[in-house]
Amino acid sequence: MRYNILFGGQAGQGPNILGEILGEALVKQGYYVFYSRDYQSLIRGGHNFNVLTFSDSPIHSNDSKIDVLVALDENTKKIHSTKMKKEGIILDGKHENMYFAGRLFKLLCLDFETLNQELRELKKKYEENLKNAKLGYEEETKNICHVKNQKNKIYFLNGSKEISQGAIESGLDVYYAYPMTPATPVLRELAEKQIEKNYLVLEPENEIAVINSAIGSAITGAKVMIGTSGGGFDLMTEGLSMAGIAGVPLVVYLAQRPGPASGVPTYTAQGDLNIARHAGHGEFPRMVLAPGDPIECRELTNQAFYFSQKYKIPCIVLNDKHLAESFYSLKEIPKIIKSQKTISLGKFNSYESTSEGISTEDSKRIEKNNIERLKKVWDIEKEAEKFIQYKNFGKKNSKNLIVSWGSTKGAILDAIQGLDTEFLQILYMEPFPKEILKFLKNKNIILIENNATAQLGQLITEKTGIFIEDKNKILRFDGRPFLADELNLEVKKRLN
Amino acid sequence: MNISTNVKSTWCPGCPNFMILAGVKKALENSGKKQNEMVIVSGIGCHAKIFDYLNLPGLNSLHGRVPPVCFGLKMGNPNLSVLGFSGDGDAYAEGLEHTIHSARYNSNWIYIVHNNQVFSLTTGQPTPTTEIGYKDKTTPLGVKTFPLNPIKLMLASGASFVARVFADIQQVENVIKEALKHKGFCFIEILQPCLIFHPETLKYKNKIYDLQKSGHKKQDFQAAMKKVEEFDYNEIKSDTKIPVGIFYQVQKPIFEEQFPQLQKLGPLGWKGIKR
Repeated sequence: MRYNILFGGQAGQGPNILGEILGEALVKQGYYVFYSRDYQSLIRGGHNFNVLTFSDSPIHSNDSKIDVLVALDENTKKIHSTKMKKEGIILDGKHENMYFAGRLFKLLCLDFETLNQELRELKKKYEENLKNAKLGYEEETKNICHVKNQKNKIYFLNGSKEISQGAIESGLDVYYAYPMTPATPVLRELAEKQIEKNYLVLEPENEIAVINSAIGSAITGAKVMIGTSGGGFDLMTEGLSMAGIAGVPLVVYLAQRPGPASGVPTYTAQGDLNIARHAGHGEFPRMVLAPGDPIECRELTNQAFYFSQKYKIPCIVLNDKHLAESFYSLKEIPKIIKSQKTISLGKFNSYESTSEGISTEDSKRIEKNNIERLKKVWDIEKEAEKFIQYKNFGKKNSKNLIVSWGSTKGAILDAIQGLDTEFLQILYMEPFPKEILKFLKNKNIILIENNATAQLGQLITEKTGIFIEDKNKILRFDGRPFLADELNLEVKKRLN
Repeated sequence: MNISTNVKSTWCPGCPNFMILAGVKKALENSGKKQNEMVIVSGIGCHAKIFDYLNLPGLNSLHGRVPPVCFGLKMGNPNLSVLGFSGDGDAYAEGLEHTIHSARYNSNWIYIVHNNQVFSLTTGQPTPTTEIGYKDKTTPLGVKTFPLNPIKLMLASGASFVARVFADIQQVENVIKEALKHKGFCFIEILQPCLIFHPETLKYKNKIYDLQKSGHKKQDFQAAMKKVEEFDYNEIKSDTKIPVGIFYQVQKPIFEEQFPQLQKLGPLGWKGIKR
């Protein structure tokens, strides 16, 4: 079974909260839920929609076809009714959002107490919500799906929350950020818990101040993370270069959205792999880690703290809007490792410097410093081999091999169900696991990315010498994530 | 305590930066603070060489970014005494926004701006405090824009300690001593003539007078705003008088004292927190 429910309305009508309530309730019943948000860069009005897909077996993405459409306004009906399944149901009319919650819970045969419980947890406007929910529950006559307890223990997880959790578990001391979608949810999440978990969250005057303040804190020995998105990251690049030469540990959370420039602020893309790998002038060691689900968000943030402290380098966790703001239901328990605080206050320098931190122009010293930085790159490459740098899914040893990274993982896992293909997900973009060459050789390679220029494809060619044929690149660059059913068709066309 | 290093200085012979260095050393060595409690940050330009001449920890940082680094040091360990050194290029051009916001934040650190009204290490281009008509190889038509008055800007931005001195050992030592006693953000501008590219400002030496000796009340904001008008950085006339000393000093809420997380930290700051 796999049901798709779309909630749409104007910003301010509350389609978000509807999906979150239903998602929470379904996960408690042991169902797997995937819940994503599509919203515009405005505060009131416009058209926002959320899609909740649920199933009794693991799922990681939405489909394009709709079973139930909850239309909080007429516009929603107009836009989405063309995607309805034959037997699909539309819930509409002029009602408060919780009225639709009542109807939905009835439709799915969830008892009213389940909904009441969620409303209680919301706290806000309980009495009013209860009244509307009751009315909806009473008025709904159909039921389409008998939801019964599946006895699974599933966690309802969000990419941003798990990035934050990973940072807290790694011993975060100070988090600096300037607000920018889609990195802001981590700022919000971390800000909320700062007193309880005893760390500091600050919003300096701009991204340049963010990274330079972070470096100031980091050289006192604090564990520091900063967060931003495309344009903000551009502003940080000189600071990144300073962290590189001065040997300052820094975790950088980079949440991608479509560029160039202001691009499309509230939508998704994987267009910043190249800049994450190359930002900052000069040559210096860094790492770039790309999670593909919330558990990996937590684990890779944790590993970023470990490596940045051990090797005194900047380490970038590369996320995107789709993973940052969607909710997943997963069963895995993350593996968390401890990291030391390695910095003691001394003389740090943005110039080439002697071992005492004194600025130098001595040719031997410049060469020596470069070799030390190169050595870090080699040491990191070696140690990274002990970590999970890539993952294999699907049919082992198939002649077809899908390669991808980041948030496309979810739609790919769902799209390849039953297909004759293996799927290789790469998590370590820098250092790049060159050993994947053994999987790529003599395979029909299909590349899937949320960008226009196949940046992972370029990276694979650079590191392994293998070219991926243009006809085998499935690229989406309209700001939207892949949908499982559509992607399934695209993959099928390219299988050998 | 001796905070000198054995690094050979590369400032030009006779550069007023030597006076500043000597004043800073005297103030810090006699401050009663331990060497590992004091941290220095510098920007980019002639002033920044001071980083190599002081045996103190810190960061020789990027152009214009001294304030956020100093702020970050205080957030990392509020118990450190932080001194940031900048030039006029750093503080008033490349990193002007940080200068303004530092005044607004009022974190407890000292910002020392070596203002020679010219980019010297890049061989003499005009900065935001260079006078109208100044010419160099890159500005053959001459500077057309009126210079910024940084003291006025700092008063308007809410700085709790605003001072200006000439690059004289005693003046520098005294003002840093006062700044070390002050709780909150201290802005100190040092008029530092560049002998090579801007030597006419050597005249300042005979134009300055001491605000405190002249009866200026440093807690009076309106009086301070009047005093800043006496010198506009643009023209030195025969009757020009340049007030030096503390223009304004007042106690305001300190940034780091408003965060309970920072209040709990020991002498090592966050470094001392084991999780």
